[in-house]
Amino acid sequence: MKKLYSNKLVIFSLVLPGVLVFLFAVLAPIILSVYYGFTDYSGMGEAKWIGWENYAALFHDSAFGRSLLNSLLLAIGFICIQHPLAILVAAVLDKLQGRAEGVFRCIYFIPNVISVAVIAYLWKFIYNPDFGLLNNVLKFFGYQGKINWLSQQNAIWSVLLVLIWHGFGWGMLIYYTGIKNIDPVLYEAASIDGANWWTTFFRITLPLMKPVIQINVTMAIISALKQMETVYLLTNGGPSNSTQFAANYLYQQAFKSFRYGYGNAIGVVFILICIVTTVVLNTVFREKQDA
Amino acid sequence: MKKKLIASLLATVLTVSTLAGCGGSSGNSTQTNAGSQTETAQDTAAQDTTAQDTATEDTGNTQEAAETAGGDVTIRLFSNLPDRKNGQGLVEQMIIDEYMEANPNVTIEVEALDEEAYKTKFKAYAMSGMPDVVSIWGQPSFLDEVLDAGVLAELNEADYADYKFIAGSLEGFKKDGKLYGLPRNTDIMLFYYNQKMFDDNGWTVPATYDELLELCKTIQGAGITPVAMDGGDGWPMACFLTDILVKVAGTDYAEIIRNAVAAGDFTAPEIREATQILVDSAAAGMFQTGYDSQDYGTTMNLFTNGQAAMYCMGSWDCSMALNEDITPEIRDNIRAFTMPVVEGGKGGAKDIAAWNGGGYAVSASSEVKDEAVKFLNYMYQPDKLSKYGWENGVGMSAQDQTEYLTGNETELQKQVMDILKEATSVSGTPINDCGPSVFKTTIENEIQGVSNGYTSVDDFLEAIGNACK
Repeated sequence: MKKLYSNKLVIFSLVLPGVLVFLFAVLAPIILSVYYGFTDYSGMGEAKWIGWENYAALFHDSAFGRSLLNSLLLAIGFICIQHPLAILVAAVLDKLQGRAEGVFRCIYFIPNVISVAVIAYLWKFIYNPDFGLLNNVLKFFGYQGKINWLSQQNAIWSVLLVLIWHGFGWGMLIYYTGIKNIDPVLYEAASIDGANWWTTFFRITLPLMKPVIQINVTMAIISALKQMETVYLLTNGGPSNSTQFAANYLYQQAFKSFRYGYGNAIGVVFILICIVTTVVLNTVFREKQDA
Repeated sequence: MKKKLIASLLATVLTVSTLAGCGGSSGNSTQTNAGSQTETAQDTAAQDTTAQDTATEDTGNTQEAAETAGGDVTIRLFSNLPDRKNGQGLVEQMIIDEYMEANPNVTIEVEALDEEAYKTKFKAYAMSGMPDVVSIWGQPSFLDEVLDAGVLAELNEADYADYKFIAGSLEGFKKDGKLYGLPRNTDIMLFYYNQKMFDDNGWTVPATYDELLELCKTIQGAGITPVAMDGGDGWPMACFLTDILVKVAGTDYAEIIRNAVAAGDFTAPEIREATQILVDSAAAGMFQTGYDSQDYGTTMNLFTNGQAAMYCMGSWDCSMALNEDITPEIRDNIRAFTMPVVEGGKGGAKDIAAWNGGGYAVSASSEVKDEAVKFLNYMYQPDKLSKYGWENGVGMSAQDQTEYLTGNETELQKQVMDILKEATSVSGTPINDCGPSVFKTTIENEIQGVSNGYTSVDDFLEAIGNACK
């Protein structure tokens, strides 16, 4: 068997599919994307080289600026609202034990199991000013007006709420697994020393969860940048780009506006932002670890 | 020695399976090209042939060439009508089936996708080779880029002299005087209203825009939404703006828009006035709360559930009067009127916002171009698309339909037909489809912001102007 694996032909044939997939499904499209980013290609016909024009236009494009700002808002929402809540809920779940633990774990994870399309339409109906659940609940408590949850001013907050709610289960599950991996002996020792729940949480759970938090925060920021499906189905970036996100804007420009070149330029900037963010996050976390 | 043999055998198997994997995927993609949603009996046979052929070359073309040589022809039709059992899709399929029956050597393979997916894949096809007959839109926002890429075949206009096309309906499908496609429908912008609700409350159809605003105020007072507007999609509101602009500018509409698009300057007083009217109407509560984020279905439901008194949409929604999902009390009482005149505007009551949008064309690179054109011409024989369309309540075609009246038309159908018949002028392409596609997406985004008061009229006009430059 050992000899089989040292045969160069075998190694070659085993590695080849992976290399081919990487070359043609990942590397080639990225290189093509960079090339098309410098052209005025409409998706059909000839592509004309226009240098940095797309990037210059992107710099002045308020809708693109708005979409990056929204991604930032979402990332902040994930880090400041979703994740603290997820850690707390995971810690509480861990303490619940027995059947309740399983039941609540399931309930919190349900939104992640449901398809994005269903989630988007569900919330579309919840937010509907005429027959939506939210306004009807308010009506029940005596509020007579109709709140437009997806108006120019409110829409971004309503969208953020859906995204934070939807991603909550994943975050919680990863934290929960992290907590489960903490040695129970530590908790026992703490309780013998007379530590209460909060002290154990801040002194044992949180510090030992650091690596999990790092992974989760990095993933949250990347997913905030990549956000597309829910927004596309819920508001499609509207009204008037107020809920626009970079990936959705890229799609609109490339496939609806026939600005394939411009769309690719957005894609390139987008990849750069993602890479820079990941590098920065890794550096920050590594520094902390070293310290 | 034995191990070496096993090793080389294993390597061979792996290599072959990898190649077969590639071959398989190529076969699949050809199948998709050949029409994954085909409806024809010979479809299975065609797929079998493709599946057997695991070579990496484009099997579709070889197959097509072979068939042409043998006398059998396969025409690939790429359609934006995925529902083959109702409405326009059914009409299309009826004609296809008839054609194949009349021409046993011809197989028509249909691939149908929803409009947005259709337009995306259309682009992919434009790069890799178009199907033979395709759905198109005779509007600059779609057709300009397509014609620039040279993917559509030129048609001989003289061939269609006897096809009873409504005067001017071919214009949108031409470039530099050459014809590249044929229109399928005539669309009119309408206010649908609930006659019974109007009668019960003593409301009357407004004759002027001021009366409309007054009526909206009264309806609002009664706790009902005056006009259901699909503002979430952007384009219906752009059609609404077109409608107002037609009343403001009259027959100058097309020229004003053409000049504005050409110069990237939308500050013409007529456009400004029309936009201001839209803004004021929205501010006065003409539309439902949250209109700027609600989609087509939700908006239509507001009207068909009786929560809105009027509904602003194109004539294609006349089929509401035949829709059994709507309660008869509402369904039978749906009537329509056109945009009332604007005081001081040049457009009369009978200058209407109407255009010929969707249609068909033949691919320039088609290997069976002659057959494809023959089939296209067959579809457009006046007793085909036009007649079947009318009989199935699909709406008005771009051809004269008067011969095909059945006498069983709904009140709404008759009313809309009269509107078109009595029209003194029709606007042509709605504003959002008059410019390049960047302009289309920009105006459809920006119109939400201007109508809800977030953007000023000046900023709106500037933004849409810049999109044309």
